[in-house]
Amino acid sequence: MSGSSQTPLDPAAGGVTDARGATAAEEAVEARAAGAPRRWTVTRVALGLVAAVVVVWLVVKASEDLRQFAVVSLNGITLAALFFVVASGFTLIFGLMRVVNMAHGSLYLLGGYLALEMQDSWFKEEVGGLGISLAGEAGAEYDLVGWLVPLVLATLIIGVLGVIMQQVFLRWNQGQDLRQALITIALSVIFADQMLAAFGGISKDIKTPTDWPESIALPGDVRFGFFRGVIVLGAAVLIGLLLWWLITRTRFGKIVRAGVDDREMVSALGINVQLVFAAAFFLGAVLAGLGGVLGGTMISLAPGEDTSFLLNSLIVVIIGGMGSLAGAAIGALALGLVDAYGDVYLVFGDTDLTNYSILLTFALLVAVLAVRPLGLFGRPA
Amino acid sequence: MKGIRLLALIGAVLALGLVAGCGDDDDGGGGGGGGDQAAEGGGDTIKVGFLSDCEGAFGSFFEPTASGFNQALIDKAGAKPASKKPSEGVTGATVAGKQIQIVGYGCSDGTADKAIEETRRLVEQEGADILVGPLSGDEGIAVANYAKDHPDKTFINGIAGAQDATLKVQAPNFFRYHPDGAQWSAGLGDYAYNELGWKRAAIIGDDYSFPYTSLAGFVAEYCAIGGKITKRIWAPLGEKDYSSYISQIPDDVDGLYVGIGGSGLINFVKQYKQQRGEVDTDRMMGNVFWDDPLVLKEVGNDLVGGTTSAMTAADSDDPDVTAYIDRLRKSYGKELAGLGPSVFTYGYYTAGQALIKGLEAVNGDISDQKKLQAALAKVRLSGDEAPYGDVRLDENHQAISDVFLKRIVKDKTGDGVADVATFRRIPEVNQTFGGFFTAEAPPPDRNNPTCEKRQPPPWVGKAEEVSFGT
Repeated sequence: MSGSSQTPLDPAAGGVTDARGATAAEEAVEARAAGAPRRWTVTRVALGLVAAVVVVWLVVKASEDLRQFAVVSLNGITLAALFFVVASGFTLIFGLMRVVNMAHGSLYLLGGYLALEMQDSWFKEEVGGLGISLAGEAGAEYDLVGWLVPLVLATLIIGVLGVIMQQVFLRWNQGQDLRQALITIALSVIFADQMLAAFGGISKDIKTPTDWPESIALPGDVRFGFFRGVIVLGAAVLIGLLLWWLITRTRFGKIVRAGVDDREMVSALGINVQLVFAAAFFLGAVLAGLGGVLGGTMISLAPGEDTSFLLNSLIVVIIGGMGSLAGAAIGALALGLVDAYGDVYLVFGDTDLTNYSILLTFALLVAVLAVRPLGLFGRPA
Repeated sequence: MKGIRLLALIGAVLALGLVAGCGDDDDGGGGGGGGDQAAEGGGDTIKVGFLSDCEGAFGSFFEPTASGFNQALIDKAGAKPASKKPSEGVTGATVAGKQIQIVGYGCSDGTADKAIEETRRLVEQEGADILVGPLSGDEGIAVANYAKDHPDKTFINGIAGAQDATLKVQAPNFFRYHPDGAQWSAGLGDYAYNELGWKRAAIIGDDYSFPYTSLAGFVAEYCAIGGKITKRIWAPLGEKDYSSYISQIPDDVDGLYVGIGGSGLINFVKQYKQQRGEVDTDRMMGNVFWDDPLVLKEVGNDLVGGTTSAMTAADSDDPDVTAYIDRLRKSYGKELAGLGPSVFTYGYYTAGQALIKGLEAVNGDISDQKKLQAALAKVRLSGDEAPYGDVRLDENHQAISDVFLKRIVKDKTGDGVADVATFRRIPEVNQTFGGFFTAEAPPPDRNNPTCEKRQPPPWVGKAEEVSFGT
């Protein structure tokens, strides 16, 4: 069951795939759900047309200003990298345990705040006074250790917190989706208010080591932020590869994949499922915390970021298909690019619709769900 | 299937919450109690509510704004600071024999609904007779509209600078003793076109009423004398990631006017540097935030060479200014005194000064607030009441005052923070720009005012060169 079975967590998901990359099982589900396959064809043709129009539009815009297009695309890809780190943890927990961890965003934000707190209190000189500042920096310098130590520690703390959360609140509700979702919503609300009380309502960011360059020069007179373009993107690729290795090449991965398909069976085979669940929750929370530190350095930490990253993770997972690592990657990329292009290219002549760009995200969601109700790489449970 | 439906449902609920802008940000810190004087009720106490932002893009200005308002009470009402933290209130404030009780330091987050929630709390629950605040543009319009529905209370704006709050709403009991965002930009269009030779310019700002107003002031003047605006870029308020917006700034313009404020400006400057190597300040102007001491402290060295404007001038050597900063230092120490030239501290300071003058004019009798409001409309601030320049109100209760043009320069004082050099004074800037902005004209927004050549505002060509302490 392990090596040969293709599961949603397998990056090369799909089993027997047809030309469009859909599995036979999915086709069957869709056909059943739709009842009338011809209607689906119409939807697909319509969506295909929309997609073609979007591509043409992008090509036109790109040819107007290639440099801008390069920068905007890089923005989208780096944003996607951050979404992927956070959402891969979310999808891991969801895929294996069917727990919709609504506190995932809180773990993200708390991870960021913890790292910031450590950086501030251990690696910065005391300033005294009320310490009023707009983003909490004002000339402080940090070396590599001053960024890396908070990163590692905060990430581990969040991992442990995730395990505690799972053991204390979720373990005794195993299999009760709605109850678990509600419990984690409650936790996220508590976290949000506690973080507001502890860290204030002002946006703050974690500082990069002072000797890192601000930006990198790319061919074609394109400049891009070093942290964004190198560190975040590099981290996402590395994490993607590590997860892929973990899921497909290790015993833990085998158990996880088996568990995704049939939990009872795995348990019956004498594997300590509870231990695996705890480990999965640890890993998922670690990824959320890591995302928080990366996001807090790349963008900012502020109240509300927890909800917005939870929403991003949800969208990524819904687009990509629950429990699928490859789906999380594709979903993140789609979301990041739509977000970036929508902010810039939603201008038609004199009509500037860029302030509606957030709606595009949901249009994307609707389009994907219309064609593939289980997400791009999703499979029925 | 069931799982994904649950996911989708939860996602939809969350999305609605986000779109409607009602996150889960309850009243966290900051909204603490006011001064601890005087029994409640009774005719001998005047209750004042204070409203500012302690969350969101402008949350860092909470204590500075409180220090400005408190300082006015300390100067003119015999108050003492209750602690070194301004939002903990003052003790012993009296005007014309009446005790002034601050019923609360309200905390908003830059949004209209939160500002109204806090206003209702202060006015309807804590029983404030007079409200001083709020801080941000959209909040100001909302509070002005609230004021219209509550004629028996009096409202003095803190530092909210959206034009509509006075020009359009025209509440008889809402007063603003500082220039609005457009007035703050007066003189910049003239300078850009005639001195810097900008023939074509772009503007970028946060997508809400204050930057609309702020950039409208630039557009109105710059276009009136012949400049062209080729691109207007708007990013949502509270945006953390400006990179997509920075990539839209065109290369084929002579200059850029930046109307991004608060913590967003810090992100903007950092991300601009990442994307374009450096902030090319020779081709940039910024609104009132650029030379705010908090901004200078964090990214000032990147902004050296940029031009900005407002009604304060940090390098002013006027004795009234020096004395104002000294008094702030005595009350609240060096850090907050350093923020004295911030329009945030100063706006609330002049609001406090005006309030005290109005109350003195009616001898502390607020049984009929119409009388207080009539007195406030006539208040003129000068000398130590308005150290950076005299203030009087027009018929819409909107300030008419001078505005300074300033350049951000390399550190002169040796503290490592960039400094400000004031080089022009634009005299007597009024809200209408010589009749251009009217109550009937479309309010400043993403596309308005349009860019047309027309009769320039009265001060074009009348700017006085100034130079402090050189």
